Amino acid sequence: MGSRRYDSRTTIFSPEGRLYQVEYALESISMAGTCIAIMNPKHGIVLLAERKITSKLLEQDNDNDLEKIYKLDDHILVGVAGLTSDAESLIDTARIHAQQYLKTYGDQIPVENLVRRISDIKQAYTQYGGMRPYGVSFLYAGYDDLNGFQLFTSNPSGNYSSWKAISIGSNTQSAQTLLQMDYKEDMTLDECIKLSLKTLSKTTDSSSKLTSDRIEISTISKDLVTINGVEKEKMSLKIYTNKEIERMLKEHKVNEKNDDDEEEEEEDEDDDEDMEEY
Amino acid sequence: MSQQDPSTINGGIVVAMTGKDCVAIACDLRLGSQSLGVANNFEKIHQYGKVFIGFTGLATDALTLSADLKYKHNLYKLKENRGIQPEVFANLISSTLYEKRFGPYFSTPVVAGLSEKTGEPYVAGFDCIGCIDAARDFIVAGTASDQLFGMCEALYEPNLESEDLFETISQALLNAADRDAISGWGAAVYMITKDKVTKTYLKTRQD
Repeated sequence: MGSRRYDSRTTIFSPEGRLYQVEYALESISMAGTCIAIMNPKHGIVLLAERKITSKLLEQDNDNDLEKIYKLDDHILVGVAGLTSDAESLIDTARIHAQQYLKTYGDQIPVENLVRRISDIKQAYTQYGGMRPYGVSFLYAGYDDLNGFQLFTSNPSGNYSSWKAISIGSNTQSAQTLLQMDYKEDMTLDECIKLSLKTLSKTTDSSSKLTSDRIEISTISKDLVTINGVEKEKMSLKIYTNKEIERMLKEHKVNEKNDDDEEEEEEDEDDDEDMEEY
Repeated sequence: MSQQDPSTINGGIVVAMTGKDCVAIACDLRLGSQSLGVANNFEKIHQYGKVFIGFTGLATDALTLSADLKYKHNLYKLKENRGIQPEVFANLISSTLYEKRFGPYFSTPVVAGLSEKTGEPYVAGFDCIGCIDAARDFIVAGTASDQLFGMCEALYEPNLESEDLFETISQALLNAADRDAISGWGAAVYMITKDKVTKTYLKTRQD
């Protein structure tokens, strides 16, 4: 192993031109709970996260205390994969950036602006000597008037990219394949939720069912609201409670094997058609 | 003319009163430059969740202060995952003002709200470096605060129902503003009860 001499410092390239600490950080994220986001640019974005329950004695308070999904501002949600403590410190700075922008410009921070600022911080820690990179990847789901709904992901290297559907955490490879097969441009938000739940249930260990205390769901969407008799589109941000998640799991029959298989077959046919087009 | 009191350049007043399970806060709408009237739609009351704050004094400072409090309130909501209580907000304002102890904002805010747990009405006022004045009955502030004090002393009764409290606070504000050349030009009254907030604009003398 030629890595030994070069992996103790983040600032140093290996002779093959690699940064081992950054790669190790990415590796640690690939073992964390999965986080999936699916976007329909017209309707909104769904963010789904899997929390790993390490002990049944651990207090679970899904309604008031999310550990995988956070609000950065009234128009941006973020999903986390990796070290939660690293994530929280970055989220703290992100929230302050968002409020600072609002105070100076009187306008909500554009999504990409915030993503870039956080990514800049992450990048810096791949260069500082004697420090390790942030061990987190983020999924940012946001809306702004400039670019509408936007979905970004960022990783410990400081790179960020924009997606229609993406997953981070464990089993991203297989989740990404499923998403690529089943993503359709004209999905409603409800169908986005269904696809995200199905993708998660297929990529996690088949032995354990998806339960409301194992997942967190939130959406950012445009809803029609009637204000003084006039219908208007309003951006809204929703974090689902335990009960609502339970209802959704039942509604979409996520844990029912038979139904799932039937649907799978149907989809397989669809997928074949899609593939032919390509 | 070069040296003058910054807190009386723009003019304007705010008053808050407690009632039975309700609280009211009202302001005038004038923004002036000394005796010159500049705007008649300058609202001095801002809403932060369920807490209402009226800012009197130098308009530029009032605006800066309200933006700063919005910043702090938004971060509070994100970090605490709950709304802010009026008592807590009063302390937040106090510490925010005292940070500028030796170069203060020329603004004296007034807080009004219902405590979420007890449902008790809460009003509080401040001096410009953050000393809290949490009164049981009413709080006055602005260029006609003396006149407001007189009106409130005369008209206020404890435990008024919201309709009566509305009448009391409106009369107190209107008659105080009429005895001050740099207050008036319209008024806004907020009535806050457990499940409803109503905002009413009052027609006033335009001189």
